[in-house]
Amino acid sequence: MKGLSKKENLKCFTWKRDLTIINGELNKFFLFRLFSFLILIELLFSGISIKTYAQEWRQAIEPWKWSFPKDHGAHLDFRTEWWYFTGNLRSSLGERFGYQLTFFRQGVFPMAKDPGFPWGIRDIYLAHFTLTDVSRNQFWFSERISRKGPGLAGASERNMNIWLLNWKARMEGKRINLRARDEGMALDLVLTPRKPIIFHGKEGLSQKGRKKGQASYYFSYPNLETEGTVKMPGTQIPLQVKGISWFDHEFGSNQLAQDQVGWDWFSLHLSDGQDLMIYLLRRKDGSVEPSSSGTLVTRSGEGIHLKLSDIRVEVLGFWKSPNSGGKYPSHWKIKIPSFRIEIEVASLVPSQELLTKGSTGVIYWEGAVAGKGLSSGKPITCEGYVELTGYAGGLGGAF
Amino acid sequence: MSEPIIRITNLWKSYEVDGLGVSALRGTNLEIKKGERIALLGKSGSGKSTLFNLIAGLDRPTKGRIEVEGQDLETLGDKGRTLLRRAKLGFIFQFFNLLPTLTVFENVFLSLELANRPEPELALNALKEVGLKGKERRFPNELSGGEQQRVAIARAIVKRPSIILADEPTGNLDTTTGNQILELLTRMCQETGATLIMATHSPLTCRYATRILRMVDGAVLEENSFGEMAH
Amino acid sequence: MKIVTKSFLRYLPRRLSLSLLQLVGVACGVAAVVGMTLSAQTALRSFSNTIEFLRGRSTHTIQRPVGPMEEGFLSKLGEDPAVKWLSPVIDRRLRLENGESVRLLGIDPFLDRTIRPEIYRIEFLGEGRENLENLLSFLTDERAILIDSHLKEEFKIGTASILKTKKGPLHIKGTFPNPSGESLVLMDIGHAQKLYQLQGYIDRVDLILNDESDFIFRWGKGFFIQSSLQRRETFSGMLQAFRLNLEALSLLALLVGVFLIYNTAMFAVVSRRRDTGILRSLGANRLEIVTAFLSEILILGFLGGACGGLLGFFLTRILTGLLGSSISSLYFFLRPEPVAWSSWIVVIGMGLGCGASLLGGALPLGELIRTDPVKALSGRIATPESARKAKRAGLGGMIVLFLSFILFILPGAHVYVGFAGVFGFILGVSLLMGVIFLMLHPFIKRFLGRVGGLSGKVAAGNIRQNLGRTGVAMAAFMVSLSMSIGLSVMIGSFRESLIWWMDTQIRGDLYIGKIDEAEVPEDFFEEIKRIDGIGGVHPYRNVLTLYRNTSINVSAVDSTILKKYARFGWLRGGNENWEGVKKGGVIISESFSRRFNVKEGDTITLEGIKGPEAFKVIAIFYDYTTEHGLVMMDRTTYIKTFGDRRLNNIGIFIDPDQPRRAELLEEVRRKAEARGLPVRTGSQLHQNILDVFDNTFAITRSMRAIAIIVAFFGIAGALLTLFIERSREFGIYRALGFSTGQVARVTLIEGLEMGLVSFILSMGVGTVLAMLLIKVINLRSFNWTIFYFPSLQPYLITGITAILASLGAAIYPIWRIFRTYPQIQIREE
Repeated sequence: MKGLSKKENLKCFTWKRDLTIINGELNKFFLFRLFSFLILIELLFSGISIKTYAQEWRQAIEPWKWSFPKDHGAHLDFRTEWWYFTGNLRSSLGERFGYQLTFFRQGVFPMAKDPGFPWGIRDIYLAHFTLTDVSRNQFWFSERISRKGPGLAGASERNMNIWLLNWKARMEGKRINLRARDEGMALDLVLTPRKPIIFHGKEGLSQKGRKKGQASYYFSYPNLETEGTVKMPGTQIPLQVKGISWFDHEFGSNQLAQDQVGWDWFSLHLSDGQDLMIYLLRRKDGSVEPSSSGTLVTRSGEGIHLKLSDIRVEVLGFWKSPNSGGKYPSHWKIKIPSFRIEIEVASLVPSQELLTKGSTGVIYWEGAVAGKGLSSGKPITCEGYVELTGYAGGLGGAF
Repeated sequence: MSEPIIRITNLWKSYEVDGLGVSALRGTNLEIKKGERIALLGKSGSGKSTLFNLIAGLDRPTKGRIEVEGQDLETLGDKGRTLLRRAKLGFIFQFFNLLPTLTVFENVFLSLELANRPEPELALNALKEVGLKGKERRFPNELSGGEQQRVAIARAIVKRPSIILADEPTGNLDTTTGNQILELLTRMCQETGATLIMATHSPLTCRYATRILRMVDGAVLEENSFGEMAH
Repeated sequence: MKIVTKSFLRYLPRRLSLSLLQLVGVACGVAAVVGMTLSAQTALRSFSNTIEFLRGRSTHTIQRPVGPMEEGFLSKLGEDPAVKWLSPVIDRRLRLENGESVRLLGIDPFLDRTIRPEIYRIEFLGEGRENLENLLSFLTDERAILIDSHLKEEFKIGTASILKTKKGPLHIKGTFPNPSGESLVLMDIGHAQKLYQLQGYIDRVDLILNDESDFIFRWGKGFFIQSSLQRRETFSGMLQAFRLNLEALSLLALLVGVFLIYNTAMFAVVSRRRDTGILRSLGANRLEIVTAFLSEILILGFLGGACGGLLGFFLTRILTGLLGSSISSLYFFLRPEPVAWSSWIVVIGMGLGCGASLLGGALPLGELIRTDPVKALSGRIATPESARKAKRAGLGGMIVLFLSFILFILPGAHVYVGFAGVFGFILGVSLLMGVIFLMLHPFIKRFLGRVGGLSGKVAAGNIRQNLGRTGVAMAAFMVSLSMSIGLSVMIGSFRESLIWWMDTQIRGDLYIGKIDEAEVPEDFFEEIKRIDGIGGVHPYRNVLTLYRNTSINVSAVDSTILKKYARFGWLRGGNENWEGVKKGGVIISESFSRRFNVKEGDTITLEGIKGPEAFKVIAIFYDYTTEHGLVMMDRTTYIKTFGDRRLNNIGIFIDPDQPRRAELLEEVRRKAEARGLPVRTGSQLHQNILDVFDNTFAITRSMRAIAIIVAFFGIAGALLTLFIERSREFGIYRALGFSTGQVARVTLIEGLEMGLVSFILSMGVGTVLAMLLIKVINLRSFNWTIFYFPSLQPYLITGITAILASLGAAIYPIWRIFRTYPQIQIREE
C-alpha cells in the first residue's frame, strides 16, 4: 500500500512498460514482481484483497511435510512459486554453453471466481528462457506470460509438469525433460539428478526476512546430469550437448521486506564434487540482510546450511551494461572458511543481461560463470550460474 | 513609276452557297502602284470584300495569282501571309472591328505588338495624330462611331504599313464625319507613303482617290473619267 | 502579358455573371469527381487500414470453415513447431443502445500484445488507486471493456462510465489508441465468450508462423488457414463490385463535368470568333490565338477547379458517411473518417479543372483555330454550317453507338467493358443530339408557335440558329436527365425485384433472432417446436466461408418446411428441387452460379470440418442477399459437414386455416421475449430489408442530384450566353415593337424548349440506360438478374426537375432583360 500511495499521480501506463512503479519496491526474490502488471495486481490485493476475498494466501511459517512427486507440482495455496533451471553445457567439440529456463506462477486470487471457466484468472504464468554461447560470446533471451486458459499454461499439482505454450518442464520417473523453442533458439534436454534433493533453510523453510511468514519453502536438485540438444539462433542444426544443471523450486506468499533492493544468487558446481548455493539480499543502506544464507552440498549429497557469517564474498570486478547502464559485479572471490573453500569466479560472457524492454521491461543479469581456486587445499575448478537483480538503475531506467 | 506594289492576274474566287457554286471574282486583273490611293466602287456583293480578303491573304483564290511587293501570296504560305499582314498591311473596316475588351490605346498597341515593335510612344503618337489624345484609356463602346474609326485608322497606320485596305471606311458614319475620316486617312497615307485601297459604294470617296476602279460582277474596270474629275 | 491574350481574358470580368456561371459549372463537375473519388478512396483506405491494424503482426489466421472453433485446439496450436506466436480472438459485432454497431474484439491481453502491440497503450480511467483497480478489473469484471479513441470522443468518457448496449451496460475501464477508421471495443476473451454465449469457442486464432507449408500440412484439414495477404484479398474481393460501381459513378460525374466545360468552351469560341477574325486580320498567328483562348479556359479551369476542390472536400463530409453506412449495411462494419483537409485537395481540384478544361476545350479550340477570319469578320453566322456540323456530329455519334453496341455483345466481357459501353452509349447519344433536334425542330416550332405565339416561334428559331451552343447544353442536360431516369428506373426495378424475391423466400409469420448473428439457442428452437399447432418452425443458419479462396455464404435450411411454405424463384424447375436438397444436394444462388460458372448437375467442393466435401448442385434460385454467392443446404447436411449447430434465426410458419393462429403467435412471441430474443413479423423483416436497400442507394441518389445541379448550370449558362450574344438582336426586337415581357417570354420559352427537348430525349435514353444498367452492369458486377419493372414515377420526377431547372436557369437572363432591355438600342458594338 505504501508503494501505491507514492504512485498516486500515475495515470497512463501500458501493459509492458511501467516499471517506474516498482522502483525501490523490488522484491529481491520474486523476479516476477518486476512485471508491472503483476506488481499492480499484487499491490492492489495486498491491500484490498484481504477485505474483498474471504480466503487468504497460505503463509510459509511451519516446516513443510515433504512428499514427492507431489511437491514437485504446484502449490496453489501459495501466491508465488517457481521452477528454476540453469546449467552449464559443452558440445562434443568442447564449446561451452549456458542455459536458463524458468517458470513462474503468480497467484492473483486465492480462490477462483468461476473455477470451471478456463479463462478465469486465478494465476498468471511467466517463463524466461536464455541461451549463452561462451565461445562466440553471445547471449539470447526470451520470455512469456499467460494465464492458464484452455491449456495455454499450467502446472500440475501432482507432479512436475509445467508448461507455457510450447515451453515445458516435465518429470517422468527420475528424469526431467526440458523443452523450449522461440525465434531461432531451441532447447531439448534430459536432466537426471546425481544427488538427492537438498532442502534449504530449516527443512526447506527458508527465511527471507525477520518477520514470521517472510519466508518461502525452498529446495533444489543441486547437481543434475544434463544431456540433449540446444539450437542457437542463426544456426540450422541443434547441437548435441552434455553438462550439469541446478534446479530450484520455491514457493511462498509474503516474503518481501521493504528495505531490500536486490539480490545476488550463486549456484556453483565444484570439480571436487561439492555444490555451493549462496544468496545475498542487499539492503538499501548497502548492508546485507542478516537472514541471507547458503547451502553447501557435499560429494555424497548432504546439504549443510551456511549462515551469513560463514560466507565471504568479495567483488573483484564490474561490468557496466551499455544497454541499461547498470553496473553489475562480474568477478568475485568467494570464501567459505569453515570448509576451506576459496575460489575466484567470473562471468563467462559479460552481457548476459535480460533487458526485456520489448515485453515485460524487466532488467536483470543471469548468466553462466566459471572459476577456479582451492578446496581443502587442493586446486579445483568450478562452473555455475549467478543471478544479479536490482543493479540496473531504477530498472525502469528507460523511463 | 516603279514596280506595281500589287499585281493581280486572272483571279477567280468561287463560294459554295447552299450547294450552288457562286463566283465572286471572275478573272480579275489589276495592278496597283506604290503610293496610289484607289477608290474601289461597287454594289454590295460585287466582290469588293472578297478581293480585299484575298489581297490580305485572309482568303485564298480559287484560281489566279496575287503578288504583293513582288511576292506571290500563294508561295508565301500561311506563315508568310501572317507576317505580311503584320508588317505590310493595315486594315480598316466598315464596322470598325475594334476589340471590345481592349482600351483605345491597347487596340492600337496590339498592332505594334504583333508587328514586333512594342513601343508605346508610337501608339500614343498615332492616337494624337488622329486627334484622340486624352481618350487612350477609353473602351470602344465609350466612343462615337467617328472616334472608333479614328482608332481603327491609328491602329492601321501605326505600324507604317505599305498598304492600307479600307473596306467601306465611312459606310457607318454620317457625311461630315465620313469626310473627316477620309481626309485623315488620305493625309496619313500621304505622310507615310502608304498605298490606300478603299472599297466603297459612295462616289464621295472618289474625291480622295488618285485612281478609281469599279467592280462589276466580279471584274474590275477602270473609271478614268471619275478619277480625272476628282483632280 | 500579350495584349492578344489580354483581349480574351478581359471577357472574364466583363461578363462576370456568365464567367461566374461557368466557374460554378466547372466547380460542380470537379466537386462531384473530387468528392466521390476521395470519399471512395477514404472508405477503401480506411477499410484496408482497419484490416492492417487488426492484423497487427500476425502472418496467418486459422479458423473453422464455418462458425466458431473449439478453444481446445489452442494448446495443440501452441505446441506446433511452426507456430511462433498465437492469439485467440473473438471477433463480433456489438450493437449499442443507439442502434449503432461496433466491432468487439475478445482477446487475451497477455497473448495478444505480441500480435497487436499498438493497441496496448492503454489509458485506464481514474487516478491513483482507482486507476489501478480499473486496470485489474479488466481481467476480473465480466462486463469490463476498453474503448478506442473514436468511441471515447463520441461518448465523452468521464471517470466511471457505462457503455449502453443491446446486451446490457458494459463498464468502460479505459481507452486505447485506434489509428484505423473502425470503432473498436476490447474485452477479455473469457468475458467475451460469456457475453456471446460462446463458452469453449473462439472465432479464430491469429498466428505468427515461421513455416507456412508445414503448418498447412498439419492443420489444413477441417480448418481455413489464410495468410494476411489472402485475408486482405478476400476482404477486398468482397468490396470489388461495390468499388467498381463507385468508380463508375465518379467517372460519370467526370463525364458530366467535361461536358459542361465543353459547353463553356463552346460558348467562349462563339463569342471569340469575331475577335479572332480581327486579330487574324491584324496579323496574329494561330499560336497567339491558341494561347489567348487556352489562358481563358485554363483560368476558368484553375479557379473553378480550386473551388471544386473545396466544394468536393465539403462533399466528402457527406459522402463518406453515406459510403460508410452503405458498406456497413452490405458487407462489414466500417466507419470511415472523412478526409482530413489538405491543400493538395485544391491542387488536385485545379489539376482536374484544368485537365477537364483542356479535354472539354479541345474541340472548341480546334474550331477556333479553323475559324475563317473572312467569315468571322463578315459576321455571317453560318446557319447551314451548324446544321452540317450537327449532321457530322450525328454521324460520329452513330459510329460511337455502333462501337458501344459491339462492346455490349462481346461474350463474357468484364464489367469494365460494360461500363465502357455505357459511356459510349451516352457519348454517342449526346453527339446525335443536334441531328435529333433538327429532326424534331419543325414539330417543336409548330407546338411552341401555338403555345407561345410569336415569342414561341422566335424562341424556336433562336435555338435552331444557335445550335452550336444550344446543342451542347441540351446534350449535357439530356445526359444528366437520362442518368437520373436510368438510375431511378434501375433502382426502382431492383427494389421491385427485391420485393418479389422477399415474397418468394421470406414468407414466415414471425422471425426470431437477427440474421447476422447466431443468437438463438438450440433449446429455444426445440421449445418452440414443441408448441402444438404450429405449421413449421424453420431453423436458419447463415455463415461466411470460402470457396475457391473467395468469400461466399452458406445457409442451412430445413428443406421440408421450405418446400411446404416458401415459393423460391427457380431458374429451372419448381419445388420438387427440394427433394434433392433433402438427399444431401445443395441449391445455389444465381450470383454463385454466374460468379463461379457452376450449373445444375455440377459438383462443388466445400471445406468441411473433416476435410473437403463434394455436393451436387440440384438447382439455381434467384437471390439478392449477397453478390458473393450463396450455397443453401439442408440443416442435416450442414451439421454433418461443418459440425455447427448454431442458429441465426428461426422462422415460424402457421397454416392460414389454423384457428388458434393469433394465440399461437402470441405464445411464441412471449417465449422469445422472455429469452430476450428479438422478434419480428414477416412484414417487419421485409421493411428492414428495404431500409437497408434504400440506405445502400443513398449515395447513388446523391450522385443523381449532383448531376442535375451540374446540368442546371449548363442550361443556365447556355441561356445567358444566348442572351448576351443576342443583345444586338434585342435592339431589333425593340425596334419591331416587342415589349419587355415578350422578349422575356422568348427567353423563357427558349429555356423551356431546351429543357423539354432534353427531357423528351432523355426519356428514351434514360430507359435504354436503365436497361443497360440492369442487363449489363448489374448482371456483370453483381451477378444477379434484376427484372425490369416499368414505373412512371422516375419519368415524372425527372420531367418536373427538367422543367423547373430550365425555368430556374432562365430566371437570371430574364432579370437581365428586364433590367437592360429598355435601354437597348439598335447599334453595333
